[in-house]
Amino acid sequence: MQKILTRHFNQANSHRLDTYLHDRGYEGARKALTQMTPAQVMEEIKKSNLRGLGGAGFATGMKWGFIPSNNPKPKYLVVNADEGEPGTFKDKYIMERDPHALLEGIVVTCYAIGSHKAYVYIRGEYVKSMQILQGAIDEAYQKGFLGKGIMGTSFDLDVVIHPGAGAYICGEETALLESLEGKKGFPRLKPPFPAVVGLFGCPTVINNVETLACVPHIIVHGAEWFAKLGCEKNGGNRIFCVSGHVNKPGIYELSVGTTLRAIIYEHAGGIREGHKLKAVIPGGISAAVLTADEIDVRMDFDSLKAIGSMAGSGGIIVMDETTCMVWAAMVAARFFAHESCGQCSPCREGAGWVYRIMKRICDGEGRPVDLKNLPGIVGNIGGNTICAFGDAVTMAVGSYVQKFKSEFEYHIKEKKCDLTSNLQEAWH
Amino acid sequence: MPKLTIDGKEIEVPAGTTVIQAAEQLGIQIPRYCYHPALPIAGNCRICMVEIEKQPKLQIACYTPVAEGMVVKTNSPKAIEAHQSVLEFLLVNHPVDCPVCDQSGECKLQDYYMEHGQYNSRLVDVKVKKQKKAFSIGPTVMLDQERCILCTRCVRFADEITKTHEFGVFNRGDHSELDLYPGKQLDNKYSGNVVDICPVGALTDKDFRFKCRVWYLGQTKSVCPGCSMGCNIEIHWDKSRPHSHKKARVMRLKPRLNPDVNQYWICDDGRYDYRFIDEKRILFPQQKGAPISWEEAIDTIAQKVRQIQGAGQMEKVGVLVSAQLTNEDIFVIRKLFKDTLKIFHVDFRVPEKPGYSDDFLLKADKNPNTAGAQAILLQEGGISTKEIIQKATKGDIELLYVFGHDLVKLFGKETVEQIAKNVKFFVLQASNWNETCDYAHLVLPSAVYAEKDGSFTNCQQRVQRIWPAFAPLGEAKGDWEILSLLAEKLGIQLKFSSSEEIFNEITQRIASLSSMSYEKIADQGMILDGTRH
Amino acid sequence: MLHFVQEKEGFISPESEKEIAEHLGIPVVHVHEVISFYHLFHQKPKGKCHFAVCQTTSCALLGAEEIIEYLKKRLGIQPGETTPDGKFSLSVVECLGACEIAPMMQCNKDYMGPLTKEKIDELINKST
Repeated sequence: MQKILTRHFNQANSHRLDTYLHDRGYEGARKALTQMTPAQVMEEIKKSNLRGLGGAGFATGMKWGFIPSNNPKPKYLVVNADEGEPGTFKDKYIMERDPHALLEGIVVTCYAIGSHKAYVYIRGEYVKSMQILQGAIDEAYQKGFLGKGIMGTSFDLDVVIHPGAGAYICGEETALLESLEGKKGFPRLKPPFPAVVGLFGCPTVINNVETLACVPHIIVHGAEWFAKLGCEKNGGNRIFCVSGHVNKPGIYELSVGTTLRAIIYEHAGGIREGHKLKAVIPGGISAAVLTADEIDVRMDFDSLKAIGSMAGSGGIIVMDETTCMVWAAMVAARFFAHESCGQCSPCREGAGWVYRIMKRICDGEGRPVDLKNLPGIVGNIGGNTICAFGDAVTMAVGSYVQKFKSEFEYHIKEKKCDLTSNLQEAWH
Repeated sequence: MPKLTIDGKEIEVPAGTTVIQAAEQLGIQIPRYCYHPALPIAGNCRICMVEIEKQPKLQIACYTPVAEGMVVKTNSPKAIEAHQSVLEFLLVNHPVDCPVCDQSGECKLQDYYMEHGQYNSRLVDVKVKKQKKAFSIGPTVMLDQERCILCTRCVRFADEITKTHEFGVFNRGDHSELDLYPGKQLDNKYSGNVVDICPVGALTDKDFRFKCRVWYLGQTKSVCPGCSMGCNIEIHWDKSRPHSHKKARVMRLKPRLNPDVNQYWICDDGRYDYRFIDEKRILFPQQKGAPISWEEAIDTIAQKVRQIQGAGQMEKVGVLVSAQLTNEDIFVIRKLFKDTLKIFHVDFRVPEKPGYSDDFLLKADKNPNTAGAQAILLQEGGISTKEIIQKATKGDIELLYVFGHDLVKLFGKETVEQIAKNVKFFVLQASNWNETCDYAHLVLPSAVYAEKDGSFTNCQQRVQRIWPAFAPLGEAKGDWEILSLLAEKLGIQLKFSSSEEIFNEITQRIASLSSMSYEKIADQGMILDGTRH
Repeated sequence: MLHFVQEKEGFISPESEKEIAEHLGIPVVHVHEVISFYHLFHQKPKGKCHFAVCQTTSCALLGAEEIIEYLKKRLGIQPGETTPDGKFSLSVVECLGACEIAPMMQCNKDYMGPLTKEKIDELINKST
């Protein structure tokens, strides 16, 4: 299988410009800027079936197309490098091992949408990524790949890094914009959508790091090639992140059409010695958990949606039979309770409430009525909130109760876990 | 203009109107916490969700603009479920303080629970505790962080209306807390308004704390007499137990909506200055400190007037009118003193220091009816107040009739001592005790604005109605009623059966009020040139 | 601006808050709101070595709870606290984006993992 996104990752000094230039670096940008019109670039991305790899899977070309052409305000590209979705760590690698791939993607994208300023919002904890990316930006400015008159053309572009400060919700598009503008990360009411009213009230496109890293390749090799790498309506490769009870946790660049079984067993080395697969989270903590017999699903956005989960950020978390699913649900609920921004009532009060119920059941203080109430309580959050965080709580936490009901019943009835082996073993 | 259907009823509204506003026009009240017509939209409470045909998800009515052909259902099963679920979430951490909470009876959690809730609680868990409960955040307001539902109305009020930025929401998730900036106090001049807009008992009024349960309160519309702005108010008085509360009848004042005058607001000075309605009132006529009957009092004055009339010395009478009186009071003063008795030294202007004013509601003129007095008294001929007082100190005034003013405060004790000595007959007709009472020869108890039926004209030249909440305290009578009695004694036909009758005569005599009537003025007022805005 | 101040001084004092508000022309209450919202901003200094241990699913599956308990014992403090000598502070945080080296934590700016009791002991001894 052809490696595209990760092909430089194991090279020495892969983050440096000279290394990048050695391997057709900035060729895509040069082609776009000198041989194509912005509209042609946009069309190519549309045809490639590239979909947002941050989690939502929205068709990238279509998103770019929402930018109004006749709007006199400046247009912005915002790079979402907040990477907060638990189970996900791919963007970190792109920024640390191949930062120029991101920068080249930014150049092409900004050319296509008519933007001359890009902000890279990197989560505050990614100190190393920020340092390396800033180094790459400095190099690019020095050698004329950023700044005024890029590569001798008349296209100007400035790129600025803006650090986050420790809030998962700032990965949500409009919360990110708020944070970038110096405020609390409170998602905005939509409409209007960022494409019309975004950063500083101007038309804005927000794209994930990995999505942008795909862009130059599409320009160089063509949309059809990229589309064929994947499957219908979802083109290309993506970098899957595997963690949890597998032998080889790490990043794996594969076609989006790869099955979950293949990823776990063929690439990530399968389950730890002496253990069996019990459950998998296929696309970050916001995705509904899958049981062991659901892993033949293809990992593209549409296939996973069809079975009630989502491809999300590509963060695959593998759980073996030592995992108590009630405990896993509690951990997920705890995450959502801690990261809720608190702006709207259902999520603010609901996430905390669901966590308290889960903790009680997990600690052996559950009551039969809890199991009766949980689906209703969890279900009331999603669909009633300002942003998709509420929907994630409903989908994700709800899936544990739905698919592992017997474990919840046992916990409530027996007031303890029915797993004899516990996590102490897991820690060496 | 887009036409849409809400709950089966059609309505046409201007483009840009939101669904919640359109529904209100149809008389449909969609539940709301964070939405307030005078504040920017927040959209965070999520209770105003409605079902809109052809839209897969429920939408919040406060933020959704109407569209042609839109079909909205505010009480479909899905919408009702959403309202209930939001209510349930808000009540999860809300301390059920109702028995000790002032908001009880006018609380939107209670109200919507009765309308949209009525479910069995599913909460078995501990509620989130917050730091500040029953915490004073300034001279007028108490904060309870646990009761707060984080609708952010107060934050938006402090940011957009008073622009004083006291409030913020700190932390995140269900540990979010509403608070002031550390060390700051809520001490702007409009602080009391946050209590009005808080839908629950998180922000409560210190002045009203534990005073009276709201279901005992009667409500009467009126106009604040604190300054010439004439903010529209409601007087809330205890109707069930008039003998409790140390004989106070008025429990609090609340602003009343008038888009052209004060919108939804009132300043703190106006809000908290109601005690004079019940305290330090003059309760019976007095002559040199000793109580006398009304009969005696009116008699005495009538005698004096006849005396001066007989001697042809009407220029030795001075009348100091007050701009605190209603248009009706002032008109009867004019009719009796100026038109009939031909007393020309009638003035309402006194040397008052202009009070504090700002570019919002506070006006420097601390009288509610200066414009009314001006329109009705028409100062041609006759000398000014200053001259009247000068004459009075020299003994050139035989009868000095003062309405309400505290001459000691205005002109100093010495001057008033001289007046008391040198004026033959000094009458003070006032509602509340002031230092001048000790010097007047005769004191007549009059009613306060809350006991009157009448009108004030504010600084916008707007005539606004006031209604009586209750009868005058003790033996006090309305100002024009007292003058009617005096007129009768003097054999002058000046009997009116109602304030409205007086007002109708005003409209016939004063050009700028000619197109008005009580009916037309209603409860929102009318500008003097007769055009309703 | 907040990052700059915290980088320089280790925390954001009320005085700095007011200066920032004045400089940017925004009400100080809204600066305070922002600081209280984000986990990376502190209003009190942290220890010289700040351990932020991840407790989300991937790390939890591989023993994060035990690590947190061990650190609590070893350092003698609860999450959110700093040792009396100012050397160490402990926080429990959500996913840091390093699940491939779970269980892990961030020590000041560096990511450390996979963690074992021995590795933690080494770290603490080195920093003492």
